[in-house]
Amino acid sequence: MARGLRPLRRIVPARDHFDWPLFLGIAALCVVGAINLYSATSAAKLALQELYVQQVYWLVVGGIVAGILASVDYRMFEKWAWPSYGVGLVLLVLVFILGRDIRGSSRWLSIGPLSIQPSETMKIALILVLAKHLHTAHGSEHRGLRDLLVPALIAAVPAALVIKQPDLGTGLILSLIFASMVMLLAVPLSLVLRLLGSFIAVVWAVWEFDLLKDYQRARIEAFLNPEHNILGTNWHAHHARVAIGNGGATGWGFMLGTQNQFHFLPDQFTDFPFPVLAEDWGFAGSCLLVTIYAFLVLRALEIAYQSRDRFGAALATGVGALFFWHAVFNLGMVTGLLPVVGVTLPLFSYGGSSVVTDLVGVGFLMSVSAHRQS
Amino acid sequence: MRLASSSDVGEFRGRFKWYALTVVLTFFVIIGRLFDLQILEADRYRGEARENIIRRITMPAARGMVEDSGGNVLASNRASWNIAVVPGRVLPSGRPPHRVGRYETDTWATIAGTLRLTPVERDSWAIRLREACQTDEDHSACWRSTIVREDTPRDIVVELRQHAAEHQGADVIETSVRTYPFGSLTAHLLGYVGEIDAETLVRYRPEGYGDLASDEQRKINPLGYEPGDTVGVVGLERAWEAMLRGQRGWVKRIVDARGRYRTEPAYQSLLEEPSRQDPIAGRNLRLAFDVELQKAAKHAMAKQLGGAVVAMEVRTGRVLALYSKPEYDPNEVSGAQGRARLREAFARLRPDPLAPLLDKTTTGAFPPGSTFKPFAALAGLEDDVLKPEKNEVCNQFVFYGRRRFKCTHAHGVVNLRAAIAQSCNIYFFKLAESVGIDRIARIGQLFGFGERTGLAINPESPGRMPTRAFYTNIFRGAYKLGFTLNTAIGQGAMTTTPLQLASAYAALGNGGTLFVPQVVRSVVSSEGELLQDFHPRVRRTIPMKPQNLARITDGLKQVVESPRGTAHALRDPALPVSGKTGTAQVGYASKPGESASSAWYYSRDDAWFAALYPSMAPEVAVVVLVEHGISGPAVAAPIAFEILHAYAKLSDKRKGSAP
Repeated sequence: MARGLRPLRRIVPARDHFDWPLFLGIAALCVVGAINLYSATSAAKLALQELYVQQVYWLVVGGIVAGILASVDYRMFEKWAWPSYGVGLVLLVLVFILGRDIRGSSRWLSIGPLSIQPSETMKIALILVLAKHLHTAHGSEHRGLRDLLVPALIAAVPAALVIKQPDLGTGLILSLIFASMVMLLAVPLSLVLRLLGSFIAVVWAVWEFDLLKDYQRARIEAFLNPEHNILGTNWHAHHARVAIGNGGATGWGFMLGTQNQFHFLPDQFTDFPFPVLAEDWGFAGSCLLVTIYAFLVLRALEIAYQSRDRFGAALATGVGALFFWHAVFNLGMVTGLLPVVGVTLPLFSYGGSSVVTDLVGVGFLMSVSAHRQS
Repeated sequence: MRLASSSDVGEFRGRFKWYALTVVLTFFVIIGRLFDLQILEADRYRGEARENIIRRITMPAARGMVEDSGGNVLASNRASWNIAVVPGRVLPSGRPPHRVGRYETDTWATIAGTLRLTPVERDSWAIRLREACQTDEDHSACWRSTIVREDTPRDIVVELRQHAAEHQGADVIETSVRTYPFGSLTAHLLGYVGEIDAETLVRYRPEGYGDLASDEQRKINPLGYEPGDTVGVVGLERAWEAMLRGQRGWVKRIVDARGRYRTEPAYQSLLEEPSRQDPIAGRNLRLAFDVELQKAAKHAMAKQLGGAVVAMEVRTGRVLALYSKPEYDPNEVSGAQGRARLREAFARLRPDPLAPLLDKTTTGAFPPGSTFKPFAALAGLEDDVLKPEKNEVCNQFVFYGRRRFKCTHAHGVVNLRAAIAQSCNIYFFKLAESVGIDRIARIGQLFGFGERTGLAINPESPGRMPTRAFYTNIFRGAYKLGFTLNTAIGQGAMTTTPLQLASAYAALGNGGTLFVPQVVRSVVSSEGELLQDFHPRVRRTIPMKPQNLARITDGLKQVVESPRGTAHALRDPALPVSGKTGTAQVGYASKPGESASSAWYYSRDDAWFAALYPSMAPEVAVVVLVEHGISGPAVAAPIAFEILHAYAKLSDKRKGSAP
């Protein structure tokens, strides 16, 4: 009886410790993201022009979920860790059986009128499970390879399933979330370096022995020769870069960027919304957006630092890692620093699954923030 | 509190400063990259983004017009409409089921009805259009427009435009095509245009052409040929291509990635000046040619299957009529009425044994027969071998060795004058025997036989003026007298084109000046300004004694005047014509399986008449060739008289109307 009521009692302190900076940062991102989506789809066909409305719906749904989560004591989430991980895995397996095939990979699952992307929900489940594991894996003064084995296994199963879809980008993000979280453990530097060394060896082997899909290999080759084959594999990356440069210092103005308005940006609402912003608002606008992301990630780290227990710290770090790696890979991809991997820009790209996933993460963060040491 | 007891955050805390440092550094790298792209390299990317949306659209130049001496338009341009459809839009039901779009009703049946396609055409197109959509690619043929009807009548175009909604997916494409108002009448002279072929294009645009600087390009490709361009294929259209072609212009337009024009005012300032260059229309040609005389030639030849007519001004070498039979319709073979018509026309014309595509006035060479006799006679007079008053006796046959040479009938006692008038072979055999082949050939060559005239419109045959050396070469030294005898009467190896014969007779008519035949009188700009006027060009003045020439022209008069002349039956005091008939044997070996009537036709003699009018002071030379016409006097001569009759009427009318 008392156990069941405890979370409700926690609502009161949640209101007292409401994290306004985090909330304002997220709100700013959502508003700018929706406006940018409006610009991104303004030149497109009629059906696409309605996308930003859909996005607003998703933001509202995600916002409500986040609000509920923020008002709950995050220690409740520990109980959901394994169940959500289990459901996530089942959904990932179901994708192979029931998934819709879009452009050569099955990533979607239709439930009634909804299409969900199980790989997105898996991110949250993974963060929860790893946080739970790190929470209990305490005590040892001498961290070694053995401490990393169980979390590695936990992450490897969903990552492998996602890469098999094939969705290299999300697989990469899952792996990086895992790495960011387990590195919280005080493993010696020498081990970190050794792991890094073997990782590089694996990457080399994958490239050398041709284990990538043709399109994946083509993308990396395209990245290595950015000005080559602009009409083919480099079309996306090239026109994204041109759009960003075309923005100049202050941009063309809202809904005026020529690369977007004249349809030179494919996937401008999913993986390439940033070039639209960069073209409309120039260097000033891009810097502002990058600053918001930097602020959010740093804020998440601060919340983690101030968390009163390992679960909260690991959870906040995981959510911070989710935002960080998504932002870095997406921005790196569109600016030509990294090869083209289909990674969304959090709360900026169109997509119900990713918006809700990101906002669930924000809900976790808000909850950890509300219940940290005062 | 299980959770609280297990909380040892201390282990994690050491990491966060490193994490924060990594985050800050990473975002700085991204900002740095953005600074590079948006500040340092901004100009380059701005330029590229501008290039992406600005397209130079070429504007075709109107091809120059061709007019005859009376101002009749022989070649010009007209608008033509092609109808194109987008398969995915006219037959949405043929698309894969998951490709849903805005166009949901099939409009093809309506479109086909409006275009007046036959049910067979409609259904075969429907199959092809459906097939185009059986792929899953984004940019497949399903979304590319396909031309389904070329050169569409105006009323169909109007209907399509008025009821655009019912014809969803069909577009009208306006183009300009060449038109020849007189059609087949001027076919061989004007030739026709066509789409530039790949071989020619490669010559003007070799590999790497696109990377050259524009002045380098102009050096290799001065006329600026591009794929799909219209070029002259044969005839005047080809020979005068450089004058007729003009220079294309361009206009800069704002275009999106899907190729659509965009007109938002916000972007128009991106168009740098100059934003357009107007095309320069091709220059117009004014010909010496007279379409009215050509009509008369065609009319006179109406009953014949094949042949040629040339009319040439005696004192200038200007060509007034140039007619080759059978003709073809240049409007069909230029592709102006659609590719299907073009293919069908060539399939019909190419195998035709009467060779309608051949310009028989210049490309075809034929034995001249007796029309050559005056030149053989002149050779005898010039070399003082021939005594004009000396009589020969014609008994119809003459024997040289064991070979018998024959005449049409026994002419009895003939001198030079009578021999020309009556076309007595025996007289000319005897003449040839004393004059020799090389002296005949020398005069023949001076009059242009065996040499291209230089009209330079269609490929010209040089014909052949045989010499002793020629025969020796061919028959390995076994020279026979018969060769000489045949040459004197325009048989054997001797051949000429009708145009050569006309200019040779013109030289007889004008006292010995051989002109370059000329068909283009002047070049006029599209605004009507005279750019270039062509004067008659003399090829050579033939050295000969006037009294010798006078004997020849007198003989030509007797052909009509003398009661025993071969063309006396046509004598008309109102139409003083002099000339020479010719009936030339053709060597024809019938092909296996050929029908008797066909073999009989092709082995019939060619009929010639070469005329000068008016006979006392010739203005015009007319040569008529009727292939396999059997008889010069009976078939070719009446045609020449009819044409000259028309000429006289036309020149009277013009003199009357002149101030």
